[in-house]
Amino acid sequence: MNATMKGDDGRGALHAARAVAVVAGIFSLVVCIVIIANFLQTRAADPLNSKELEALIGELRERRDDGELREAVRALDLLARKAYFTSRGFNRAGAYLLVGGITVMLVSLKAAATLRRKLPDPKRLAPLEEPTERKELARRAVTALGGVLVVVSLGIVWTAGRNEWDALDGGIEAQPAAEGPGEAVSAAAYPTREEMLGNWPFFRGGEANGVGHTANAPVSWNVETGEGVLWKTAVPMGGFGSPVAWKDRVFLTGADEKVREVYCFDAETGELLWRRRIEGIPGSPETAPAVTPDTGHAAPTMAVDGRHAFAIFSTGDVACLDFDGEVVWARNLGVPENHYGHSSSLVTHEGLLLVQLDHGGGGNVFGLDAATGETVWRTAREVEISWSSPALVAVGGRTELLVNANPYVASYDPETGDELWSVDCMDMEVGPSPAYSDGMAFFANAYAIMVGINIETQEIVWEAYDDLPDVSSPLAVGGLLFTATSTGTVTCYEGATGAVHWKQEFDEGFYASAIVVGENVYLADKSGVMHIFKAAGEFTAVAELPLGEKSVCSPAFLRGRIFIRGEKNLYCMGTGDE
Amino acid sequence: MGLTGKAAAAAFAAIFVCLMSAGLYGVERFPAPEFDSEYRLPETSYPGTAAETEGYIALGALFAALAAATWLAHKRRSRKGIFALMIVSLLYFGFYRKGCICAVGSLQNVTLGLFDSSYGIPLTVLGFFLLPLVFSVLFGRTFCAAVCPLGAIQDVVVLKPQRVPGWLEHALGMGAYVYLAAAILFAATGTGFLICRTDPFVSFFRLGGDPTLLAVGAGILVVGIFIARPYCRYLCPYGVLLGWASRFSKWHITITPDECVKCRLCEEACLFGAIRKPPPPKEDESRERGVRRLAVILALTPVLVLGGGWVGGHLAGPLSRANTRVKLAEEIRELSEGRVEAATLEGEAFLASGAPRGELYAEAASVGDRFTVGGWTLGGFLGLVFAWKLLGLSVVRTREDYEMDRAACLSCGRCFSYCPREQERLKKAKEARA
Repeated sequence: MNATMKGDDGRGALHAARAVAVVAGIFSLVVCIVIIANFLQTRAADPLNSKELEALIGELRERRDDGELREAVRALDLLARKAYFTSRGFNRAGAYLLVGGITVMLVSLKAAATLRRKLPDPKRLAPLEEPTERKELARRAVTALGGVLVVVSLGIVWTAGRNEWDALDGGIEAQPAAEGPGEAVSAAAYPTREEMLGNWPFFRGGEANGVGHTANAPVSWNVETGEGVLWKTAVPMGGFGSPVAWKDRVFLTGADEKVREVYCFDAETGELLWRRRIEGIPGSPETAPAVTPDTGHAAPTMAVDGRHAFAIFSTGDVACLDFDGEVVWARNLGVPENHYGHSSSLVTHEGLLLVQLDHGGGGNVFGLDAATGETVWRTAREVEISWSSPALVAVGGRTELLVNANPYVASYDPETGDELWSVDCMDMEVGPSPAYSDGMAFFANAYAIMVGINIETQEIVWEAYDDLPDVSSPLAVGGLLFTATSTGTVTCYEGATGAVHWKQEFDEGFYASAIVVGENVYLADKSGVMHIFKAAGEFTAVAELPLGEKSVCSPAFLRGRIFIRGEKNLYCMGTGDE
Repeated sequence: MGLTGKAAAAAFAAIFVCLMSAGLYGVERFPAPEFDSEYRLPETSYPGTAAETEGYIALGALFAALAAATWLAHKRRSRKGIFALMIVSLLYFGFYRKGCICAVGSLQNVTLGLFDSSYGIPLTVLGFFLLPLVFSVLFGRTFCAAVCPLGAIQDVVVLKPQRVPGWLEHALGMGAYVYLAAAILFAATGTGFLICRTDPFVSFFRLGGDPTLLAVGAGILVVGIFIARPYCRYLCPYGVLLGWASRFSKWHITITPDECVKCRLCEEACLFGAIRKPPPPKEDESRERGVRRLAVILALTPVLVLGGGWVGGHLAGPLSRANTRVKLAEEIRELSEGRVEAATLEGEAFLASGAPRGELYAEAASVGDRFTVGGWTLGGFLGLVFAWKLLGLSVVRTREDYEMDRAACLSCGRCFSYCPREQERLKKAKEARA
């Protein structure tokens, strides 16, 4: 059994196999050297980087009409390409030869190995392993491999982190800001509807639809003489968010690409009570997204609910502060993809902070727990970017959250986020917010359409296409609808039919939204002049009151006072009588 | 390492270098000539799609090869015949067909077909997936023995085979299950065909390709000189399925043609560690201890399944980044936040298309969800496989003869000639013919 499996006669074959293997090996080696040499030579003579050709092409660019030179370039280019492809063909042929040579060598080596193989000698076989010991070792090895797999997997998970788009899905949990967690406030502690209407908690008032419920709003002031101006305070940083006010506090935001701040002013004196920088929020981008100067990083208006003030910025950072300026909670909702900058303002409803976040990364309306910032509900929307703000209106015994966006306008249950209805009618880049009065909801956008929708049947009752607002939101009150365009046209419609009562041209355009208080409509143009006219079917001017600086913000009304944000200052107009 | 091993290793290093140099050429693209007048570029021509009949011919060839391999293994018991057929298969399915269609990769097509209703599996691909499995469940892994080009290219370089200790064989064999799970996850989520993308041998069949894969392939072949068929034993995901099918095979080859005389000559014959020896008459471990261990592993099985699922579910996020849509979504997101300045070609194309980003993000989120579900499921599966393996290593087997491990045996026929009963059979047959 010590002989080869082929017996002694196999020795000759074994020698032959070895000899063939050696010859084939040498052949393969030679071919291999030739191929590598040719490869290096071809690389060195790269026709794409031929200096001669480049020089000729350079000459040809200067002497474009030289036909002889052109032919020379072509001839040289063709030659270089031929040489290149010939070389490649040479290499390929060499590869085939090499494969052939190595195959012969392998077959020979294989044959030699087979001829050399001996049957085992039973006397020299190792003693049988103890199966128990062998299995124990195998169990340990399998267990160890499993452990290694788990550790490696967890290492990958640990180092890879979360997927970025999770943030768009509302996946990031609310995080207390660096300032520390605040006191949770129960829903019962939130103010009643009457309290909300009696203050100025949102952009465009207590229902965010432009209707003020205060009394004794001033109709005259003079900034130059100071008559009717209670105070004027510089705002530390710029922003286009309008003021909101609660009892003795007025709130604003300001920001640039690096800093985001919230300001609280004394409504009586105009003193800046505190300013709070919003920072250290998990998920907040290191660099603020690019925005246009006319939108900025602090375009949305804040919301207040009597205990807390809420702010949102272009970064998607949302912060809740108490009235002493301490951050209760803060979180990042995902950086809005918005080429002008995020501008939708906030509203609150019975313990929920409602956020319209329609951006390039997806449309969403969030219902966040106002006390903790956690997502209570989120409704995804198939819409384009919207700069509009939601309106919170009372319809019969219920409250609806009206939202304007392209391609559809919609209403949501503010408590659950359920879509109550939607109408596919809107187009273009939507800026104006919805209006509501007497069972009719109004949605408008420049270069697109304005519709009057019966809120019970969701029927489009009427449509209009001329003189539509671009930024300024429509105002509905007493069966009438008022719109103001960026070019200075103010139009009064019959809310039920869309019939035009009057149209008035002004020298300046309007970005601010119209607010009605009592019988008067207040509408500031871009130069800062406050136009006051009667909320009636005939145009009757009441006053035109310059601010002395530009203003694109909507005023806030509180107990006989008007708070107006100019380009640099916050003003309080009034007589001091509530 | 003997002369044979060194020579073979050097040969593979050389072939790798040369194939890579040829392959790298193939990756380059030649720009059009820089003429700015008169020259008219010829119209681009594209190679026609492979004729459908070629696929059916390949399927027919597969069936014929499987039938021939089965006949050679079962009836002729001829290692030489199996080896010859293996070379033919290597040339046809490997070098001529350039490794495609491939039964190993076909399991991804089937997976994608199961999870994506819009994907129709070509009949030929389905045939390539099913035929080897059908033959395995009837006759054992004769596909691995003589038909699979991936196995064949490794088999021809087995020159100085060394035995791998049994405990290590068991542990390394788990790699194939991990690869299988990953391949299914990637295919089911529409991320890609992982097996094809990481096929270490297709570059050899095509005489060029990705340098990294060529290097990996060459490395496996160099290892394969000493460790027979390492890819088949420790990585092949299709081998897992074939092993399951073969375990229940109705007719499987046997080492001896008739009876085992327990001569121990075949003990070292199998290069793949697939021969199971009879246990000694008395186990050195008490029955009580064995039963207790078995009970512990059984009790731990749900923990392993849930733990595997948990790990898989968490691994899903990082793995999902291999998906092109997820990758694109992340890039677009980073671009929009200014975290990266330059877009890739894909990013530029997406931005230029004007497609809504929201849809891309939603798609990425959907892929992520599928990865999570798949991660939990396949992680749980791997947990179960590990538990099953531990159980298998804890059960006392009763066996009297030297037998094949039906799941691990590749039906290569190497062990036949080691059996004295086989030698006797051959002698009798020779005498009968004379």
